[in-house]
This record gives sequence, structure tokens and C-alpha cells, in this order.
Amino acid sequence: MARKTVLQALGIALGLGVLMACSLVSPETSFARTHPQELGAGRPLCSECHTNDVAKGALKPYASFDHTPTFVKNHKFQANQDSGTCASCHAQSFCADCHGGKVALTPARQFGGRPDRMSPHRGDFLTMHKIEGRMDPSACYTCHGRANNDKCRACHK
Amino acid sequence: MKRHTYVALLATLLSATAWGQEVSLYGTTMAQMWKTETPGFDKATYTPATQWLGIDATKLGSDNLSLHLFGWGRTDLSESTSFDGTKSGGYLNYGYLQYDFKQANAEIKAGRFTANQSTGFEQIDGVSARTDLRGGFTVSAFAGKPVLYRTVDPLTQTDYDFQRDFIVGTRLGLRLPKVGEIGISYLQDGSKAAKDLTFPSSVDYTRKQVGADILIAPTAAFDFRGRTVFDMASHLDAAPGVDRSRIAEHDYTATYRVGSVVSVSANYAERNFFAFFAGTNLPSLFRQDDHDKFKGEGLSITWNTPWGIQAIADVRHTERETYGTTTRTGGELRWANAEKTAQMGAGGHFTNAAKALLVDATAPSRSLTNAEARAWGMVTKGKLSASLDAIVQKFKADNPYLAGLKTVHEVIASVGFQASKNFKVSGDLSHGSTPMAKNETRGLLRADYRFGFGKKGGQ
Repeated sequence: MARKTVLQALGIALGLGVLMACSLVSPETSFARTHPQELGAGRPLCSECHTNDVAKGALKPYASFDHTPTFVKNHKFQANQDSGTCASCHAQSFCADCHGGKVALTPARQFGGRPDRMSPHRGDFLTMHKIEGRMDPSACYTCHGRANNDKCRACHK
Repeated sequence: MKRHTYVALLATLLSATAWGQEVSLYGTTMAQMWKTETPGFDKATYTPATQWLGIDATKLGSDNLSLHLFGWGRTDLSESTSFDGTKSGGYLNYGYLQYDFKQANAEIKAGRFTANQSTGFEQIDGVSARTDLRGGFTVSAFAGKPVLYRTVDPLTQTDYDFQRDFIVGTRLGLRLPKVGEIGISYLQDGSKAAKDLTFPSSVDYTRKQVGADILIAPTAAFDFRGRTVFDMASHLDAAPGVDRSRIAEHDYTATYRVGSVVSVSANYAERNFFAFFAGTNLPSLFRQDDHDKFKGEGLSITWNTPWGIQAIADVRHTERETYGTTTRTGGELRWANAEKTAQMGAGGHFTNAAKALLVDATAPSRSLTNAEARAWGMVTKGKLSASLDAIVQKFKADNPYLAGLKTVHEVIASVGFQASKNFKVSGDLSHGSTPMAKNETRGLLRADYRFGFGKKGGQ
């Protein structure tokens, strides 16, 4: 009997929680899932066209999305906070080119005809990773690092 | 999940695309051939064929439901290109159903996908959801089973049984217009810490992390973003004298822009490896569980000149407790015409590792020091495209990792023909010299194609 009462109480609490959560949801219309205009080649500067204050939904100045060299290097922060904005121009496969988990080729080799892209592992990465990994292993684990070390353990068993 | 379960799931998902009103299929077929000449070994020839395939099917019955699949497969037509000697391989990078709500930028995903809204970047088989809330708040969460890459012998992965069984993460954010965004997040990977197992292990694959992230962007001229991650896991007791900080990471970058002409960025990062790396069973080669700390400070200046040239100068100083300090200094020039049909770049960096320690007993002070130069160009004219990319790394002194070489290099030449908007063929020819292969020449043929309505991606 006591167990049934507890379950009933939990059910009521859950129901109330769902109702309360729904009332908390923003009434704003979702912004466009796809950028309405196809973008040209190269790294876009959003603020060139978007001169108004802040991006709808993200509520940040468009300049903070400009694909400057610094933005490209630090894009993880944007992806952590709001990957939906990334998705309005990039398909998920764009991320998977480098962050695929298990990839067939190094990105630099897969996109050998796109030297303009900041593809990691240019040149002989097998040599360089021994050196760069020792100096700054955190440069590796931004892509490969997590506690299971799967990538490292393929060779470093 | 067993292989036949994957196949059944994949077949079900693929058949579901038939319901899609807008289906986009894209792929790349690549055939490679390269020969290597390694001192002390026979010459070898490799000919792998690789196929990438992606599908985006939208409006699956409902306008808001979509399916996304992407993966690759490889077969070796001659010698194995894999470290484990197998002649084939493949991987499903992602495969998930997504439901987008028309309100509050809300979405739900189910299947295999990448979750990046907490402190990690995780591939999981599971579910995720996010929505905007009133007052500028956002909330997101994911849960599932972490994807194991199976890059190592499964027998050595038995230690995963309890430590890699479940992953969950969540983030609560607050966006303030013309101010920025702050967020707190939680990530738990594994349900039982190594010390709590029936047979406690010294190698701990579990994580518990709390993150706090911030973006301050009051104007277009300035932004400050970054995060601090706290290590909340229950670890084995530290050895006497070992500092087991609860700070797993600090990583912050501030950028100031003078109009659209000049921008200055400064970065500070600090990481405690103990919170990230688990362990190793071959510590003499490479300690993945090196329990030291890393600090790095960087500065870069970008100047967008009126002549279409972008000039970037950067410096980065790193300090690792067990190996000392390094400083990398350099710059890069990039140019593109207004139509971006012609682009080129050139750059150079010098890494001074004079204060790096314990690298090589015979050359302790200089063996990591190196200079790198790179130049590239690409041009598109009508349906034809061509590119050339050359990189060379020169080491200041004999380096124990380089098998007697002082210079390693690679040159890649590529030509392409855009037969139609959705079909392109291209070929690369590369040559390099590395410690693994004194001379390495590679040929590569590539066909990229896209069918359907997809407009984004690949840019």
C-alpha cells in the first residue's frame, strides 16, 4: 500500500512537473532551420550582411559568429552553447568530417583539394603527434580525448 | 549492440527515407594508391577504396520529422592499411531521427548522434532534447550509451563493462540580449568509478564533470568566451605530495575588433590531465594518464587589409609540468579575390622548445625545436579547379623521432572537374618524405556527388 502511495505521489509530481515545464517553454517561433540564402565559398563574415543588433534566438551580435581565424579555432564554445545556429548553415556531416569519432582518413588528406580549410593533421602527422602531443597533449584531446582514450589506445596499448 | 542489430536498425532507418518528401543523398567515392619505401622494410603498395555516404530526409510524414545518416566503408585491394591487419573497415558516424518543434527552437533526437552541449563532445546511442524557455533560459539534455570505437582488441576493453555503460549530460543556459550568455552543465560518463568496482581498478574511465561557460558580447567590437570545468569524480586517493585539483579546465578567449579591419585575440587555457585521461597499460611508451598540468597563453592579431589580404600573427606559450615550456611564434597571409575563385596563403611558424625536458637524453634541450613553412594556392575557372599545397618542417637538431631526418615535407597537387552542380571528380597527387617512409608517393581519385534538395553542408 505504501509503495502504491509513493508511486501515485511520484506520478502526480511528474505530471505537475511536466505541466509546469510546458508553461516555462518560450512562446517564440523557432528561427529558420536553414539559412535562406546559399552562401558562397570561403569563411563567411555574418556581420557583412546582418547589420542589425542581435541574432534572433541566439540573442548575440552577428559579429560574434564571424568566421575569423580565432572563431574557427575556438568554435567549440559556440557549438557548446548553441549548435542550432551552426546547423542553419552546416549539415551534421560538416562536423563529422573531423569529429566523426572514427574517420577513414585524416581530414587533411580527405580534403587534399581544399588547402583553404583548417584541416588538422597536415603533413606527416605520425611524426608530429609524437612531438606536439608531448608539448601540448590537450591539443589532441580537444578532438580525441576523453577518458576512454580509444584513439590513443589503438597504438599505445 | 550486436552487428546484426545495427544492420536491422540501419535497414529500418534507410527504408524510412522512402517517406521523406525531401531526400538529399550525398557521397564521396575515393580510390587511393600509394607506395612506400621504408628503410629496413620491403617496398609496399596500398590501394584502399573508400566510400562515404550521407542521407538527409526531411518531412517524414510530418513537416517536422527528419532522418540523418552518415557513414563510410573501406576495403583494401592490396595490402592492409589498418594497424590491426584487417582489409576492410567501416563506421556509422551518425544515424538519428530528429523532430523540430515550430516553437522555442525545441528539438528531440534519437539514434546515434554527437552531443556537445555539456563539457564534452560525445558520440552516443541515445536520445537528446533541447528547448528555449521563457526569460532567455535554455535547457538541453542527453542520455544513452557511449559509442566505443573498437579500435583496440575487445579483450582489452573488458574494463569498460561497468565504466562505459551509460552517459548523461545536461546544460542550463541564460541568454541576455546585448550582454551574452552563461551556462552550467553536468556530464557523467559511466555509472561506477574504478575504485568502486568489485575488483577496484587503477585505470578509471569514468568522468563526472560540472562546467560553467560564459559569453560576454555586448557589442560587435568585443567578445569574451570560455569555460571552467570542475572534476567531480570520486578518484583513488592521491599519492602524498600530489596536487589533485578539482579544476579540470580553464579555457578563455577575449577578442577585440577595431571595425572590420583589425582584431586582437588573447587566450588562456589550463588543464589538469588527471580529469581527462584514464590510464595506460604500457606506461613506458606513452603515459595517457600523466598526472601533470598544462598551461597555455596565446595572442593573435588579424589584419584584414583593403587589398583582400588577411594577415595573421600569433604566438603561443605552453607550459607542461613534466616536460617544460615551449613557445610557438609565426604568421600567415591569406588572399582571395572578390569572387573567391582564386585564393592563396603562406605562413611560417617557429617552435622553440629549448626548455622542453626529458625528450632525449642525448639532446635534451633542442630536439623538439622546429620550424614549419607552408604555402598553398587554389583556383577555380569555370568547371575546372586546381590547388597546390606544400608543407615542410625542419628540425634544429637531430631528433630521436625522425630516424635521422632533419626535414620532413609533403606536397599535394589536386585538379578537379565540376561536371555538374551536383557532381565533381578530382584527383590528388602527393609526395612526401617522413621517418616512416623515406619516400612516399600517393595518388587519389575522388568523386563527389549529391542528389536531392539539400542546400547546406560541405561549405
